[in-house]
Amino acid sequence: MSIKTISVHSSRGGTGKTVIATNLAAILANKGFTVALLDLDFRAPSLAMVFSEGIKLPVKCWLNDFLNGKCDGAQVFTDVSGRYNLKGKLLIGLANPAIDAMRNVMEKSRAWEVTAVKKLFSLISILNDTKVDFLVSDTSPGMQYSSVNAIVSSDISIMVTTLDSIDLKGTEDMLSELYDALEKKAVILANKASPETRIKSTKYNMNVADKLEKILKHPVIGVIPCYCDVLQSERTSLLAVEKPNHPFVKNLAEVAEKLEKGYLI
Amino acid sequence: MCEAETPDFRIAGLLARIISELSEANEKLELLISLNRKLLQNQEKLRQTSDKIKSSEEFEFAPDVMALLSLPMSLRKTVMVLYKLEKATAKDIAKETKRLRAVESASANRLVRLGYLTKKREGRDVYFCIQPQVEVTE
Repeated sequence: MSIKTISVHSSRGGTGKTVIATNLAAILANKGFTVALLDLDFRAPSLAMVFSEGIKLPVKCWLNDFLNGKCDGAQVFTDVSGRYNLKGKLLIGLANPAIDAMRNVMEKSRAWEVTAVKKLFSLISILNDTKVDFLVSDTSPGMQYSSVNAIVSSDISIMVTTLDSIDLKGTEDMLSELYDALEKKAVILANKASPETRIKSTKYNMNVADKLEKILKHPVIGVIPCYCDVLQSERTSLLAVEKPNHPFVKNLAEVAEKLEKGYLI
Repeated sequence: MCEAETPDFRIAGLLARIISELSEANEKLELLISLNRKLLQNQEKLRQTSDKIKSSEEFEFAPDVMALLSLPMSLRKTVMVLYKLEKATAKDIAKETKRLRAVESASANRLVRLGYLTKKREGRDVYFCIQPQVEVTE
């Protein structure tokens, strides 16, 4: 089996991309897969904070360093499986959260971006050679070089959206003007849906999904209700490990199942 | 009253003047050498800047992901395959895109004419790649 690459993207910030990317990666790793989780949000990196308790900071090779030709691809990843006692493996590749590093990426030329996307493909090739099953990339919201590079190099993208009308419009535009233009596969994941979505039956969820599919003209992989405790939880907590029976995790496990056995076959 | 200058005294004076003038000439020569060195350094800097400007002009055609969106649909796939393969023949590209080799050959050659790709013959095969290769620097 060759590596399957998934990018988690959204049209705007605040949709829950990072929580979804980290927990999705942990769910897949807990199923026994070897999963690499990559922080491609160079403008606002957060995975370093999420995993800061599990790794020695600063890491020996940030993803930025790899793209700048300062280290090899294999050095980018840190194995954090031991910390979470996962059935499989979870490797994380972090973007440098230092202000200088963020500024440095913002000043890059178009020529550098061409090299960056090629290096991203080479990194995927390295992961494939080392028998990694899935690569999950957490991206910048909207149309940034790093997020479009991630989309181009991924087998599928999960567009995370809330049911807010501005978010939905942004998602619709992004899907038609970016994903369709590049002929890249994308699925919708509605997150932070209104409490009614949780209270009502599955039928209501289906209705939401149906409506979204009609509006966005792309398949909906899931509708996750808004859970206050998820919103209030520490960013460093990994719900998929700490509360595996939480409905948020259960919803995301269904998404993982659909990806593994459906969309990524 | 001045004493009459002896020939030896005059020669000594003359020699002192010659030495002094030679010393001045030497200083001027050293200055000229130093100026010449600076000129050469500036010339080299100008050459390097000119190369950089030239290469940045070339990179106006850098097929980055944003540039992809302005390309015709038929050409985008070819470029995306070359991100992954680095260098490839039309047959290699066709294997990835699942389109005909002739279609990929036409697309790649069009991208060469647009300045996004370069092609190079190696034996019987023609390889396409995204060029020029970019130095990755911080």
